[in-house]
Amino acid sequence: MGRTWSSMEDFEAFLDDGGMVEVDDDMPDEYRTAVFRFIELHANSELMGGLTERDWIPMTPGLRHKMAVLAKTQDEIGHGHLLYMVAADLGVKTRREMLEDLFAGRSRFHNVFHYPARTWGDQVAICLLVDGAAVPSQKAVYKDCSYGPYKRILKRIIAEEGFHLRLGEERVLRIAEGTDAQRAMFQQSIDDWWWPALRLFGPDSRPDDRLARWRLKSEKNEVMRAGWVQKFVPMLHSYGFAIPDPGLTHDAETDTWTCGPIDWEPLKRTMAMDGPDTARRIAEASAAWENTRWVRDALDAAPAGAVA
Amino acid sequence: MHTYEVFLKKDGQEEYRHAGSIDAPDDELALLLARENYLRRAEGDLLWMVDRAHLLIGDRDFVAPNSDKPHRDNDGRLVAAHRKSQREAQ
Ligand SMILES: [Fe+2]
Ligand SMILES: [Fe+2]
Repeated sequence: MGRTWSSMEDFEAFLDDGGMVEVDDDMPDEYRTAVFRFIELHANSELMGGLTERDWIPMTPGLRHKMAVLAKTQDEIGHGHLLYMVAADLGVKTRREMLEDLFAGRSRFHNVFHYPARTWGDQVAICLLVDGAAVPSQKAVYKDCSYGPYKRILKRIIAEEGFHLRLGEERVLRIAEGTDAQRAMFQQSIDDWWWPALRLFGPDSRPDDRLARWRLKSEKNEVMRAGWVQKFVPMLHSYGFAIPDPGLTHDAETDTWTCGPIDWEPLKRTMAMDGPDTARRIAEASAAWENTRWVRDALDAAPAGAVA
Repeated sequence: MHTYEVFLKKDGQEEYRHAGSIDAPDDELALLLARENYLRRAEGDLLWMVDRAHLLIGDRDFVAPNSDKPHRDNDGRLVAAHRKSQREAQ
């Protein structure tokens, strides 16, 4: 048996001292539930993202990029796999329960996976702007994460997200050097994906955020969002693309870009499982799960050692 | 279904490190799933797996008695102080 704490104050003092919680520790229920929900949301999002990547394998232009999409798809599904293991070990839900809740629309996934990827330009925008938001978000969790098993798995995931982001940057370079039609397609994708990706960071952090107090987050949402704006505005401008934000401002003295007012209504709708592509995405994921049921049934039925 | 613990080792590096865990119905598929989930980019050259049910665990309480055995070490403080006082006397 792991460690026990006599009270929440005791436990929080342990966290304040930089303590790391391990799976066999008798952690307070509130902490266990909060960590579980956080990892389950992350796992669901990796899986839903991976399924969209999969859709684009046949449509990706060029053999080298097709192979890179295969690798990225395997990474995202793999991230889901590892995270579901870590989440299941917390004993709140089994992996199968988490998957069944996801496919029944009973549990959440990140806002950006509630939108349709209609064109190759959308895939490029996702690979740049969404993976480009995932990297700083995951790094901010990893940096001071109090839950050991999650921190260790995040290290592996972040390294692979770095590959996705570099892939996205290369895709942008290539599409920027493309024909007028290709550039116009990508401008449309920026227009469609800029705001969903920006909203991925969430509204400004509250000072009493439990996740910050328990060291599941070590950076404020608004700080990460500002960093993302500062990185991608000049990058897209340098290729001659426009940012769909009439309120965007530039401080010449500090060379800082700041976004205009943010409409949070679309985020609320995706949180309520009512995004533009929510129903189709869940139906596709659920169909993929059903279509592979025979494999799971065969494995469950096989005597030990008989699977060859 | 069994839960396996996954350990990786790189050539030239000292010890096997715990990488995570994986669910699989048998040993053969466990190895395959571990390779495809934990070793996509040569994160190790060698792979050990053990069914979690077969892990022998010495928990914190079992290990704890050895965390307070100062007589198993010598910090050299007494001799250092003696040498210092000799140097200062010169
Ligand atoms: Fe991922
Ligand atoms: Fe990714």
